[in-house]
Amino acid sequence: MQYQLHLAHLYGDLLNTYGDIGNILVLKYYAQQMGVKLTDEVVSLDQPFDPKKYDIAFFGGGQDFEQVIVSKDIQSKKDDLITYIEDGGPMLAICGGYQLLGSYYIGAHGEKIKGIHALDHRTESQDNHRFIGDIVIKNEETGQEYHGFENHNGITYLGHGERPLGKVISGNGNNGSDRTEGAIYKNVYCSYFHGPILARNGELAKRILLTALKRKYLQADLSAQEALVIKPTY
Amino acid sequence: MSLRSSIAITAGKSSYWFLHKFRHGGTSFPGKLALALDPKVLRTLAKDYDIVVITGTNGKTLTTALTVKALKAKYTQILTNPSGSNMIQGITGAFLTAQKGANGKKLAVLETDEANVPIICQYVTPKAFVLTNIFRDQMDRYGEIYTTYDKIIAGIKMAPEATIIANGDAPIFNSKKLPNPTIYYGFNNQPDQEQMAPANTDGLLCPKCQHILHYKQRSYSNLGKYYCPNCSFARPELTYQMTQIVDQTPASSTFVINGQEVTLHIGGTYNIYNALAAFSVASFFGVEPQASAQMLSDKDEKVFGRQEVIRLGEKEVTLILVKNPVGLDQVLQMIKTDQEPFSLAVLLNANYADGIDTSWIWDGRFEDLPFARIPAVLAGGERYKDIAFRLRVAGVSEDRFAERPDLDDVLEYIKHMPTDHVYVLATYTAVLQLREKLANEGYIKGGMD
Repeated sequence: MQYQLHLAHLYGDLLNTYGDIGNILVLKYYAQQMGVKLTDEVVSLDQPFDPKKYDIAFFGGGQDFEQVIVSKDIQSKKDDLITYIEDGGPMLAICGGYQLLGSYYIGAHGEKIKGIHALDHRTESQDNHRFIGDIVIKNEETGQEYHGFENHNGITYLGHGERPLGKVISGNGNNGSDRTEGAIYKNVYCSYFHGPILARNGELAKRILLTALKRKYLQADLSAQEALVIKPTY
Repeated sequence: MSLRSSIAITAGKSSYWFLHKFRHGGTSFPGKLALALDPKVLRTLAKDYDIVVITGTNGKTLTTALTVKALKAKYTQILTNPSGSNMIQGITGAFLTAQKGANGKKLAVLETDEANVPIICQYVTPKAFVLTNIFRDQMDRYGEIYTTYDKIIAGIKMAPEATIIANGDAPIFNSKKLPNPTIYYGFNNQPDQEQMAPANTDGLLCPKCQHILHYKQRSYSNLGKYYCPNCSFARPELTYQMTQIVDQTPASSTFVINGQEVTLHIGGTYNIYNALAAFSVASFFGVEPQASAQMLSDKDEKVFGRQEVIRLGEKEVTLILVKNPVGLDQVLQMIKTDQEPFSLAVLLNANYADGIDTSWIWDGRFEDLPFARIPAVLAGGERYKDIAFRLRVAGVSEDRFAERPDLDDVLEYIKHMPTDHVYVLATYTAVLQLREKLANEGYIKGGMD
């Protein structure tokens, strides 16, 4: 292969509840079509996150118990993760991962659980209610529509410097009221989409891979990679 | 018996007689009717029975069937509920419709939905609880593994004298201190070797100190001889153990439990656990080990309904229900060991009973299938596009791959697949639709048990 990218799967052994592993499989699938060898490793409890070592990071969602454990451990990686993000490192964060990048979320027993505040959003909770169902959003910059399945109790409000991943066309999105879904900050993409998100939205997978390639291979001619045609999958 | 109970029982029995005679009906409706007339009717109906409650995410149906089978070596009167009727209505219905037998204590072996364990235990006091495993199920309907276990425990707490017969390889069943006598069963068939579970595995945190568990032996998912590298939490001592797998094909397994060789006429490592659970329950009720082993080795077609072999023209079709991540993955791991040529069809629906979120198909390791020697692969069902992309990502090549949304086309395509044997993996409503079609065309007898 012409190019190589290395992915950090944050807490891959703890946060893996909704087929999130599919996002990595799909990244590898399109990476191969782009002539890129994508390797991955899990970075979990008590292991350091070296911001120089990774070209992409993936951060999924899990069960309440596991997420509480992660919320404590991730404070020790906070500075390195913020360095990676501020330096333009590409990241995809889903559901619990999305919430933990923000300032806090509300746990199953009503307790406030601290995130790392790398992004400025916060997540409150709904009383005995979840947003469950198919969802369609439109990304304002590219005009692309993203399709997914949402299943979340948390209601997230975006903060300073963040823009939504898309505007809700149908479904609930971040909080059911402001028609936003997910977040983008620098090269970090956040969403509540399961499905998994990249399986239904190959264009987003391509965007993340291209961002990572451009960041690592500054002088490379990536026109062939940019020309990759993504076939519809849903 | 109170007048209310007696009216409820009569009404339930009459409705069963009517439904059975004229509508080929089941047992849930009579149970529902009787419960509406007297919510406590189950207490009256079950009073002459020793009750065994079998629960867990996967393996309930087969464990129940195998347990009944093994217990028959000693007991002549065993009541059980038909597969799927595992909530309070179905269970009440099973008692209502039971044949009246001789006097004296009788046995009831009940497949019980996890959330229905505390409901059932309000009315009956089981003699034993059998806990198979707790895995992630369809997340849009079920809770997390810990909340599911809490529901089961709420029921067990109402029967503190009952013996728990639990899968000792599942860390969750060792996570809470309970007053009940507890017997564990598990696998002990490999040499100890330091290892960890693969990343995409659920339930790996030590419940005592929240470190990630390590293993000395591991069978699949998070099941095995686990231990915590940070504290003393470890797999408990096993009373019943599977010590050797002598031979394993996708159609059968031969293995040794406590010195007894068993040949189980259904494939899959997960089914060895079900046989082991049945052996443990039978031993608890005093069945001789040799008699248990003999009963479990019997080739009984009716017991193995979840994995069905259907003749479709010239093809032999093995139809397997898939419904959650661990179950799907175990089926894939079983199929990949088949040395004979086969083709594959995967039918995905996403109706309520299947789970409306299809994400779980990504947790099955389709990548492990030997695509190079599978000459034809078909994606079908209402959500054929989702499963088609899953299979493409897993590495199926386009020249041997087809997509057929329509079920008639699926059957036609299967009839022309290049191998004699075809595996069809299907979600719950896809199985129902397929069986209905096969019944209409006369390939099988109607209905789903």
